[in-house]
Amino acid sequence: MATVLNIDNLCKAFKIGFVPKKREILKGVSLSVEAGEIFGYLGPNGAGKTTTLKCVLSLIFPDRGKIEIFGHPSLSARAKERLGYLPENPYFYDYLTGAEFLDFYARLFGLKKKEKEEKIDSLLRLVGMEKARDLQLRKFSRGMLQRVGLAQALINDPALLFLDEPLGGLDPLGRKELRDIIVRLKKEGKTIFLCSHILQDIEMICDRVAIIVGGRVISQGALQSLISEKVLFTEVTLSGVDPADLVDLGEPVSTLGDRILLKVLQEDNIDNLMALMHERKGRIHSLIPRTETLEDIFVDMVRQG
Amino acid sequence: MKTENRRPNGAARTVILLLFLLCGSIVSLKWAVERIPRKKIPGASIIYIPSGKYLKFATFGYSSLVADLIYLWAIQYYTTYTIVDRFENLEHIFSIIAELDPQYTDPYEVGALIAVTEARDLKLALKILDLGLAKNPDQWIFPFEAGHHAQRAGDYHTAREYYEKTMKIPGAPEIAKRLYAAAGFRVMDLEESWKTWLEVYNTAPDERTRKIASKHLYQVKAASDTILINRTAATFKEKYGRLPADLEELVRVGLLASLPKDLDGKDYIYNPKTGEIKAPSVWWKR
Amino acid sequence: MKTRAIALNTFKEAIRDRILYLLFFFAAVSLAFSRLLAVLTVGDRLKIIKDVGLASISIFGVLMAILIGTGLVYKEIDKKTIYTLLSKPIERWQFLLGKFLGLVLTLFIMTLAMSGIFLAILFLHTGKLEGQMLLAILFIFLELVLITAVAILFSCFSTPILSSIFSLSFYLIGHLSWGLETLIQKTRPGAGRAALRGLAAILPDLENFNFKTEVVHGLTIDPRFYLFSAFYGLVYTLFILALAVLIFKKRDFV
Repeated sequence: MATVLNIDNLCKAFKIGFVPKKREILKGVSLSVEAGEIFGYLGPNGAGKTTTLKCVLSLIFPDRGKIEIFGHPSLSARAKERLGYLPENPYFYDYLTGAEFLDFYARLFGLKKKEKEEKIDSLLRLVGMEKARDLQLRKFSRGMLQRVGLAQALINDPALLFLDEPLGGLDPLGRKELRDIIVRLKKEGKTIFLCSHILQDIEMICDRVAIIVGGRVISQGALQSLISEKVLFTEVTLSGVDPADLVDLGEPVSTLGDRILLKVLQEDNIDNLMALMHERKGRIHSLIPRTETLEDIFVDMVRQG
Repeated sequence: MKTENRRPNGAARTVILLLFLLCGSIVSLKWAVERIPRKKIPGASIIYIPSGKYLKFATFGYSSLVADLIYLWAIQYYTTYTIVDRFENLEHIFSIIAELDPQYTDPYEVGALIAVTEARDLKLALKILDLGLAKNPDQWIFPFEAGHHAQRAGDYHTAREYYEKTMKIPGAPEIAKRLYAAAGFRVMDLEESWKTWLEVYNTAPDERTRKIASKHLYQVKAASDTILINRTAATFKEKYGRLPADLEELVRVGLLASLPKDLDGKDYIYNPKTGEIKAPSVWWKR
Repeated sequence: MKTRAIALNTFKEAIRDRILYLLFFFAAVSLAFSRLLAVLTVGDRLKIIKDVGLASISIFGVLMAILIGTGLVYKEIDKKTIYTLLSKPIERWQFLLGKFLGLVLTLFIMTLAMSGIFLAILFLHTGKLEGQMLLAILFIFLELVLITAVAILFSCFSTPILSSIFSLSFYLIGHLSWGLETLIQKTRPGAGRAALRGLAAILPDLENFNFKTEVVHGLTIDPRFYLFSAFYGLVYTLFILALAVLIFKKRDFV
């Protein structure tokens, strides 16, 4: 599979303050993104996620390091023709309407009139913003801005899409819709580079991830390989049994009415519990095994770093 | 409950009443202040600007506009009669205006007008008009007006000089010549006056001008002849101890070669009792 | 074309700026006021109207150029709209040029409108259209174009308030050029004088665009002057724009 993005030892320091003091933000970032995958870029706030992205998009000029997109060494106009970018907390020209806004960006790509109009229509439909077509952007809500921002990123049908915190500030329905769109884009063959610190979303849709802490990528690889399948404990909700009998089997977490939420640490105890329930004619309402989540790994790594 | 509702209304009413009172007092105060005689009017600090040259630097390309504004201010200043010493800075203010916009003709004219009519300073008026002419050598209006001011003040010599200057500027009106000639007559330079009037007569563009010229020619000749006859009569009196009986006697005794006649060929009227000599026609009624 | 897209977008943005209409309102008031002012004068009334009229168009035009120009690039950087823009296949110089042309177009429309009012007032007063005025206004407009370039230059790296102060200083210094000349003449020959001469060569002589006095008095000007001024304006504007492009090119957008 082709590497669409390759970053090698990227370093960037900023001079901050009236008496310029050098502050290193990126201390040697290296990662690579393969074609057709959803790549998650995670890190705590201030780790350097956005800075990395801006270096790739030539909004910032790095001190050292190499960046290659589609095999081209530096970011040329040709490479940019195949990119799309949705920044964090997007803000656009207030006074334009939804359609005018997309039209403006379409012109920057030199799209022909008919093609342009079709594209605008389909994109508005894709992000669910057809009704806001003639509404001025100043009247958009945060979620609406985010959606129309995604539309703008897709105006040129890019092969590589950069999304910086695209799901931030959306309501649960919005987040689901956006996640679905991203997955659909992947199916169309696009590569997606996703910056986020909302781990649940990353876990749901990403193929590979890189974790950046303190300006360095401390872990990179397929999501599955990072998270082991090991079951940490099992959460069981049951009723009809005397709590005293459950003491050996697990820790009671909470009680609601006659239902008890039990945390069972050992796997063998599950069988014993099932037997007990059957014996006492109790009821098991739910049985949920909890595996190691990305959050757990992440918190561990950050603490170590 | 009722009192509570009324209280906010009462407060609003007091505020409105207060506003009216304050408004009234502001207006009456202003009215009262304006009655007080003042030494200066606002903007009078213009007087303290050392020179128009330096002011020009501060106008950033709007010197023409600033000249206009200072001129407008000057007009207000000079019509404020309560300021008694306002003429002290006349020359200064108008020279500032001249520096800022040398081609603005009105200030020179009006400044000179103020100088001569209100400040009664002919010299200053002429100075201002000279400045105007220096900066705008093609503007005949400046020496023209200078001549008028001098003439009105009775200084015919100066008036004559200015009329001569006016005549020399191309585009000057014909009347300048006539005024020059008339002023020449006033200073009794009869020869020059006659010459100029003859020129006017010969180059007259219309009948009216020719008529005027001929009237003046009559006047000049009559004056010249009258002087001659009077001088001859005085000599006669010295010689013979009495006034001549008639003008022919002067010819008979050989004091005059021939008796001068007026421009129309008529004889001069002589009163043997008083020795008065008069022209037969009134020159301006011809 | 990409520059055109940015230019039109900038035009749309500028033409909706309330400052523009506030300044235009004051310009209109000023032009009407000239009529009133003319009543106070003794002598030539027309001169006052013309002087105030041309000065109004000039002053308010400069204010429009500075107040809007200094915000143009800064706003994009501050509000981060520039991120999505520069990640598209557009060169940074195209962006800058687009902004410049957009504002120039706006100023052109505004100047046209103010000139319209001015000529109308003159027409009401004299009954004829004074075409000569347009010549002075044309060069006022050229001066505005140059000031716009300067405002954009400062907008690339400075906040709107500082940029406005710098741009205004540029305008004022530009009109003091012959103050500098006098200073040079009075200085003794030497290093100081040479330095002043160098300064005088670089600093713009905005008086080149000032034909207000001549037009009001109806004086004739050598056409070579006009040509020189237009050329000078063009070259200087390009110089400023090139400087802006240079500064903008290497800038990090944090």
